[in-house]
Amino acid sequence: MTNPLLSIQNLTIDYVGETADFRAVDDVSFDVAQGEIFGLAGESGCGKSTIAFAISRLHKPPALIRSGRILLEGRDVLDLDQAALRSFRWREVAMVFQSAMNSLNPVLRVEAQFHDVLRTHLGLTRTQARERTAEMLRLVDIPPDRMRDYPHQFSGGMRQRIVIAICLALNPKIVVMDEPTTALDVVVQREILQRINELRRTFGFSVLFITHDLGLMVQFCDRIGIMLAGKLVEQNSAGNIYAQPQHDYTRKLWASFPSLHSADLMKVAAS
Amino acid sequence: MGTLVRSLIRNRKALVGMIIISVIVLIAVAAPLLTEYNPAARVGRPHQPPSAEHWLGTTRIGQDVFSRLIHGARTSLAVGFGAGLLITALGTALGIIAGYRGGKTDEVISFFTNMVLVVPNLPLLLVLAAFIGQASPLVIAVILGFTSWAWGARVTRAETLSVKHKDFIKSAEMMGEPRWRIMTFEIFPNLISIVGINFIGSVIFAIITEATLEFLGLGDPKTVSWGMMLYNAQKASALSVGAWWDILTPCFALALLGIGLSLLNFAVDEIANPRLRTGNRLSRWTTLIRTGEGRL
Amino acid sequence: MVFLLRRLGFYLAAFIAAATINFFLPRLMPGDPIEIMFSSAGAELSMENLAALKLTFGFVDGPLWQQYLTYLQSIFTGDLGRSIKYFPLPVTSVLGHALVWTIGLMGTATIISFTLGTFLGILAAWRRGSVFDIVVSVGAIFATSVPAVVTSLIVLFFFGFTLGWFPTGYAADPALDPAFTLTYIGSLLYHGVLPMVTLCTVLTGGFAVTMRNNMINLLGEDYIVMARAKGLSDSRVMLWYAARNALLPTVSSLAIAIGTILGGSLVTEVVYNYPGLGNILYQAILARDYPVIQGQLLIMTIAMLVANFIVDVSYVLLDPRLRGA
Repeated sequence: MTNPLLSIQNLTIDYVGETADFRAVDDVSFDVAQGEIFGLAGESGCGKSTIAFAISRLHKPPALIRSGRILLEGRDVLDLDQAALRSFRWREVAMVFQSAMNSLNPVLRVEAQFHDVLRTHLGLTRTQARERTAEMLRLVDIPPDRMRDYPHQFSGGMRQRIVIAICLALNPKIVVMDEPTTALDVVVQREILQRINELRRTFGFSVLFITHDLGLMVQFCDRIGIMLAGKLVEQNSAGNIYAQPQHDYTRKLWASFPSLHSADLMKVAAS
Repeated sequence: MGTLVRSLIRNRKALVGMIIISVIVLIAVAAPLLTEYNPAARVGRPHQPPSAEHWLGTTRIGQDVFSRLIHGARTSLAVGFGAGLLITALGTALGIIAGYRGGKTDEVISFFTNMVLVVPNLPLLLVLAAFIGQASPLVIAVILGFTSWAWGARVTRAETLSVKHKDFIKSAEMMGEPRWRIMTFEIFPNLISIVGINFIGSVIFAIITEATLEFLGLGDPKTVSWGMMLYNAQKASALSVGAWWDILTPCFALALLGIGLSLLNFAVDEIANPRLRTGNRLSRWTTLIRTGEGRL
Repeated sequence: MVFLLRRLGFYLAAFIAAATINFFLPRLMPGDPIEIMFSSAGAELSMENLAALKLTFGFVDGPLWQQYLTYLQSIFTGDLGRSIKYFPLPVTSVLGHALVWTIGLMGTATIISFTLGTFLGILAAWRRGSVFDIVVSVGAIFATSVPAVVTSLIVLFFFGFTLGWFPTGYAADPALDPAFTLTYIGSLLYHGVLPMVTLCTVLTGGFAVTMRNNMINLLGEDYIVMARAKGLSDSRVMLWYAARNALLPTVSSLAIAIGTILGGSLVTEVVYNYPGLGNILYQAILARDYPVIQGQLLIMTIAMLVANFIVDVSYVLLDPRLRGA
């Protein structure tokens, strides 16, 4: 790929133990192009979330990056100092986390959770931030007058839409989504993914989409990487991952899938 | 259970705590062998500073402070562990029953628990002890046991609620096990760490409270205990007359025992709640970062 | 609102429970309850006064329930009887005067140590495993496990007697007349240093440990990670995301700690000869002044309930999830 937006090169991450280390991510490389949706699939504990965290350098001890590079538009994230890192976070890489219920601070108004991003990164005043917040909330179909409400006053799906709205507040280059819909029911799940897709078309950001649900992923992503025990064992276009899986593990993943969606998925793969 | 003991030995706080407590227990048990003086008898001149004859000096009425210290340890330990056991037994039983039975039983027990929690403990004990008159250590232990179970009942109930819906309880119920058996053999073993924390906490509380009640003049003057040592020394204005050994001896003994027990308590808490643990891995992580073998 | 009203009802029940204990205790003791209650008075108590006292405490001719109602009536009309040691002063005025000192001492110490302890706990949790964390944790273990009596005596010995930096007793210089003057207030503060240092030593560690553990339990939450991902400054994440939420369980544990704080305060007052409730109580115990001993349980229960109510209200103010309910 020429000039990818995000390029992960030979990334290796350990969890340091008292005597031995656990290799969570082992020599993983992949690229994500401008405007592309790249999926990372694998069972829980395979290292996919560790990679998601590493992109914004959010992981904490005992996680340790042993080697590799994380390039965003050619700049190595791992070389950023604290101040540069803070301004990099959210402005370039925004994130949606696993649990919709839990991503918003329960004791701050929604407005305040927009405002602290907008103030930190753009220096907006409270009034300016309110304007921008209203604009963002409208994008995800949440009435702007509810910005004075607290997170517990919204449903799970609405909360996740609010998180997405916060994500887009700074026009990031890439949105990392770590199992963004696991905690939601299937209908809401679909609605959210469609919404993200529309927004991506409008704003042109890329998405790194992480899930264990391969079926969902094939419908949603342009390209997919399959992870097993810290290694990236296969990456290919979504259609090929479904129609011609190369690695044994990918085949096994498909075999474990109920054949119910098959017809559905075939259609998607063909298109 | 075995893993709990093993983790306790590997935990530094627990180890230091256990050493302190063991030494105090040993000294208390061997008290008659360690000193020839009768702790209650007048064996020297009043308020003698520490000397070869009287290692920790003498009291206002000429009793040997060292002998009173090591004999007093027996009282503190007995009251502490006795009352601690009673408090824990009551709190655990009430907490498990309330949590497991639910419904009306739970409402009644929880109401009483919450009520006991908002009636201030020390003032209540003072009233009780004042009417009893001169309370012997045994009486103090019993009063403590019956008035201080509320905190334990509350936390045990909360833990029971979280264990109650686990599959193994459901399967025991399906197999028709009687309720008391489920509570004793299925739920209780799963609460062992919270019971341990409750027990050690209760022992600390009982030791502190016994000493406090006695210090405030509610103890039995014939008792040889650390609390009575404090009371007598304070009454004899030991600090103003410069007889620091008379008052600081029970002070440091109580402090040491309290610290020993607390260390153990914190260790059990860390073992029960892995998030609180800070092991050796962090130091290895720091070393790796420093030597440039990786980065955050 | 419903939540707070329910709490108020509960507090009323708890207060009646404390009164019930007071009512039954002398009657449960072997021997004549009237004899037990008022024997220490000796000859000073005239027949007339004794009759009034008996009425207050429900010793009237009639069945037990009638006695009980009589007693409750006197309590709810604010009549706690008269002190025997300080006869003929009413118990309410003896205790009321002392309560001001106790609340001053205890309130200030609680505010200082809660603030200090909470901040230490926040920083210790944030710099988990650092030298600062270890010093705070170990220091807290030491400070909380030592009985308040012992801490008071040791502080008094070193700073009062050995070094002689601070006075060893009383709330102010007894030679001064209480007045709103700089000298008197200065003397008040000077005399307050050691009791305050003692209480803060006893209390701060507990608050620090509670806050630290609550913080650590929260640090893995998604909204904390998201706050960091948002590129917010460390202090913003630490205070507005982590600490702000960890404060909730800390405040509710404050409610339970109030009893312990009260106990510590009583003992400290005795050691420092401070004119608060603890000292009055100590004197009352020595003189077996039962009306005062009983009265203090009621006054302390009220103090505890008020403190609990303040905690309840601040909990509701701190947690938006409770506000609508």
